[in-house]
Amino acid sequence: MLRVKDLALSYGATPVLEGVSLEVPGGKFVSLVGPSGSGKSSLLRAVIGLQKPSAGEVSGDFAASEIGILFQDDALLPWRNAEENVALGLRLKGVDRGSALASARQWLTRLGLYGLSERWPRQLSGGQRKRVALAQVLAREPGLLLMDEPFASLDAIVRARVTGDLARLVEQRGISVLLVTHDLEEALALSDTVYLLSQGPRAQIAGRYEVTLPRPRDPMTVRTHPDFAPLLTRLWQDLSREVGGRAA
Amino acid sequence: MNKRLAAGLRQALGLAGLVALWQWAAQAGHLNPLYMPAPSAVAATLVQLFVQGTIWPHLYATFAAALGGLAIGLGLGAALGAAAALTPLIGDLLEPVMIGLNAVPRVVLAPLFVIWFGIGLGSKVALAVMLVAVLIFFTVFTGIREVDKKLVERVATLGGGWRDLLREVYLPSVVAWVLGNLKVAVGFAFTGAVVGEFVASTRGLGYLLSFAQSNYNAALMIALIALIMGFVLLIFALTGWLERRLLRWRG
Repeated sequence: MLRVKDLALSYGATPVLEGVSLEVPGGKFVSLVGPSGSGKSSLLRAVIGLQKPSAGEVSGDFAASEIGILFQDDALLPWRNAEENVALGLRLKGVDRGSALASARQWLTRLGLYGLSERWPRQLSGGQRKRVALAQVLAREPGLLLMDEPFASLDAIVRARVTGDLARLVEQRGISVLLVTHDLEEALALSDTVYLLSQGPRAQIAGRYEVTLPRPRDPMTVRTHPDFAPLLTRLWQDLSREVGGRAA
Repeated sequence: MNKRLAAGLRQALGLAGLVALWQWAAQAGHLNPLYMPAPSAVAATLVQLFVQGTIWPHLYATFAAALGGLAIGLGLGAALGAAAALTPLIGDLLEPVMIGLNAVPRVVLAPLFVIWFGIGLGSKVALAVMLVAVLIFFTVFTGIREVDKKLVERVATLGGGWRDLLREVYLPSVVAWVLGNLKVAVGFAFTGAVVGEFVASTRGLGYLLSFAQSNYNAALMIALIALIMGFVLLIFALTGWLERRLLRWRG
């Protein structure tokens, strides 16, 4: 369980978030959506500890080593090949080099990168690099995964496939997830709960949506489920209300 | 590969053509041998230097000064650059000094170093160190300051401490910067050694150059210049190989 309680955050004199509370129960997939610039990423950075909140608290029963983090930028070390990048995540957790590399190769295979483990990051496509970054995080067997628009830079097909693989692995392993995204459909297709952040400054939680679509779920085909469209419509209307008369 | 071979062949042919033209001009009497001796005369002088063995102590002196200066300069520059980038106080103290040293052509320090360190090896090494260390200081300083913050954040969020950051992010990043400037550093080290010898010494290629000048011996001068050029190109090839090997990830 991860719990964010009455969190406030500001950049200098500019208040960004105020009184934000949300929960990620064990093994659940939770998404955070909201208008751009509302402070979604700042909230995630505060949860990770990269940003100091001005009030409130973040608590949970995960040790730091059990938390996996994935940002939009894959941030692979350019001087390490794919398997060494994945192994790095394990080695920094105390796993010896040999076992780390063996596990890295398994994870790369699991994520469809068989035969590419000795490629340098520059020799991989955007989708492949993202898979390496994902393998780096998942190989550490995290209990909680924190993600900020991890697949935003990918084209639609690659994105759908990587998202599908992620959803499958997260579901199989019972990993708790907090995902920040601007993509409402993606949020609903993947999540058990979606939180909507209000328009900033002083953004707050403006809505909470329980997604009771059946699991196991395929994030693409679940969109054809009869309950999906009404949920999406509701979320879309609420978000539009938040954005108000502002030009997109 | 074929393209590279063809380009190399073209370059070699171009160079050979130039030497042939020079030889022809000298033989045809278009060049005054006092100022511009024929390449064959230069080659003969060069061969003589090696056959008689007179060149060895001079080569040894120049190489000792240049390579010693290069090694110390790399170490000193890297240590100071790292200290300045990682400790703001040291950075504030060192940066203006280095900027000042970088602003003047540092070979002007040669006469001063002769006073300080004598006409022996010390003053030549000191000049080579001065030339290399300032270059490497800025290379390492910038390399650390410009390190990709996303990589630092990544390693930190994977639980890496400062040692991991140093080994996984800062060191490889700085090594890439330093290797990129290694050729310039090698050139600087030889410049320092030869200029130092030129100013005051009893040995070394710079000393020989100065000796040839005072005897109006153009053939010896050109032979020495060709020799220095050859050795520096050889070291360039070595550093190039090192660069390609260590920076394979760059492609």
